[in-house]
Amino acid sequence: MFTLGIDIGSTACKAVILQDGARVEARAVVPLGTGTSGAGDVLQKVLAVKNRQIEDMERILVTGYGRFTFAGADSQKSELSCHARGVNFLFPSVRTIIDIGGQDIKAMRVNAKGFLENFVMNDKCAAGTGKFLDVMARIINVKVNDLGEIGLKATEEVNISNTCTVFAESEVISKLSAAVRIEDLVAGIHRSVAKRVASLAFRNGIVPEVAMSGGVALNKGVVALLEEEIKRNILVHEDCQLAGALGAAVLAYEELHK
Amino acid sequence: MGEQVGQKPKRELPRSRVLVAEQTAKIYRDAFAAKARGEKVGWSTAIFPQEICETLDIPVLYPENNAASISAKHLGGELIEHAEGAMQYPSRICSYARLNMALADKIQDPAYSKADPLMPSPDFLLLANNSCTQLMKWYECLSRDLGIPIFFIDCLFNYYEEKPAKHKITYIRKQIEKYIWDMEAFSGKKFDWDKFLEVQKRSQINSKLFDEIIRLNMRTPAPMSGFDFFNYMSCLVLARGKESTTVIFEQLKKEVEEHIANNTTTFPSEEKYRVHWEGIACWPNLGHNLKTLKNYNVNAVINGYVTAWNVDYEPGDLDSMASAYASSSTNSLSTNTIMNMRADTIENYNCDGMLCHVNRSCKMMTFHIFVGRHIIEERTGVPCANFDGDQSDERIYSEAQFETRLQGLVEIMQHRKEANHG
Repeated sequence: MFTLGIDIGSTACKAVILQDGARVEARAVVPLGTGTSGAGDVLQKVLAVKNRQIEDMERILVTGYGRFTFAGADSQKSELSCHARGVNFLFPSVRTIIDIGGQDIKAMRVNAKGFLENFVMNDKCAAGTGKFLDVMARIINVKVNDLGEIGLKATEEVNISNTCTVFAESEVISKLSAAVRIEDLVAGIHRSVAKRVASLAFRNGIVPEVAMSGGVALNKGVVALLEEEIKRNILVHEDCQLAGALGAAVLAYEELHK
Repeated sequence: MGEQVGQKPKRELPRSRVLVAEQTAKIYRDAFAAKARGEKVGWSTAIFPQEICETLDIPVLYPENNAASISAKHLGGELIEHAEGAMQYPSRICSYARLNMALADKIQDPAYSKADPLMPSPDFLLLANNSCTQLMKWYECLSRDLGIPIFFIDCLFNYYEEKPAKHKITYIRKQIEKYIWDMEAFSGKKFDWDKFLEVQKRSQINSKLFDEIIRLNMRTPAPMSGFDFFNYMSCLVLARGKESTTVIFEQLKKEVEEHIANNTTTFPSEEKYRVHWEGIACWPNLGHNLKTLKNYNVNAVINGYVTAWNVDYEPGDLDSMASAYASSSTNSLSTNTIMNMRADTIENYNCDGMLCHVNRSCKMMTFHIFVGRHIIEERTGVPCANFDGDQSDERIYSEAQFETRLQGLVEIMQHRKEANHG
């Protein structure tokens, strides 16, 4: 039996096909967000991995910002619950999840079964989100996916404000004109994200073990500095960006067996 | 004109709501009429000893209440832009203040008619800083711009005790006494202490009646959508000492009791979850809030905001009155006191969760939530979720954000209910 989870985020769409609620059969990511062809593309892409048909899916559960508009969904859940279940699938020992998505930061506490216990999210501000990193990468003229490696080569950190993306953008531009090293600048950007996210995580309470989900978890520079800020190790799975979609597929399976 | 095809027929307003609208319209009409006769009209902060002007029969209107009404009608945006643009006020100050200071400026032009409800320009200001310190700068600006006096009652905050200390009560009582003498001199009217006692008694009857009505929502399922209470707050702000408010509350109580007897409710869907709403209403987004709550079967059965106007004291006892005005607003209390009050309410109303409006305008109210949330969670065990919004500034609110956070809260509440029922 196959269940399909789709996470239609603000900047990327992710999909996971789960077999019998226990084994990941296929995964796909498309770097296009809600309101684009991303949702349809990721569906085709994940089905093509093992040459499946949509009819093979017993149940489809959709999450993320585009969860209300996907026509083929059997049900939808908030990305909070989906990330909680997805990370629990990957790391059952985790009790605190930090998810940095395209426009949201979430700090979640979960129980042993992966049920959400409490959460806090960022206010209506892009500082510290994936969008913040996108903007910074564009100004520095590097690929956002390369930021992590670049930041790890820093010899010192340039101080960057974490209160506002627009202010930080002009700050980065002024640092660039002062000819600071790109690596040091990137590390400063990562530090500003880490501090912002850490304050949110502290507000919700941090219970070990801690894991990160969402696309920004792939940025090793941010993860390392966030570990410093919260003074704990952070688990990052290679499928961290897929945690929401994976959780959606798990929840779809559970809905069939209720 | 007949009903248009495809349009949902409007729900008939209950009699109590009709009476509220009539009372509010009369209060505004009377204020304009007094102004036209050359009599003095005041503007007042929301929790000010209104009994004194009521006794002297001097019309008073309330900018905070007025700003809420204008915002709920989506008419506040233009005024806020005027405050931030032409008047050069920063966007970070209270949106009620921005909206009201812009209105005060606009109504100097007799042809101005866009805001609804309009207020006549004031001749004096009544200011008590018991709910907010920014009120002082707001009213100072009004006073300077309009060249009118402020009657100020300074209320010390109660950060270190649950009830106001004796010296604070004495300090406020003496200010109330002086205010009475000053207002006599300002208005040229003699203060009638017998009438004052009657107004005090009426205020207490009305406060207690409203409290009784709200308590009826402890029942599960609740007879009222908690948001309905927002519609009656104006009675306590504008007309706490008037008999017409008693008539409205008696009617409302009858209607709620009828709902209980008939097992009906004003909440527009099945009440699966009960939450405590914390913070001021998002007036411009009330419709989206309610629609989303309805879709997720969440009734915000109680909130601390609607009970802030129950100024509870012993008529004839100025010390008791001073104490009540010093502590009615939860903003004048410590985080510990407020959050324990909220925890009591959550238990008494059998709430499954707490939904907190992080109000960009009212930092004082909001920050209690940030530092005191653990008190709620530890004492009651219910989950709390925050969302961003504002009491008047529509730009702060995000519909998608509100829905995601409410849905997250619902999913936690649902899981806990399922776990509790095996």
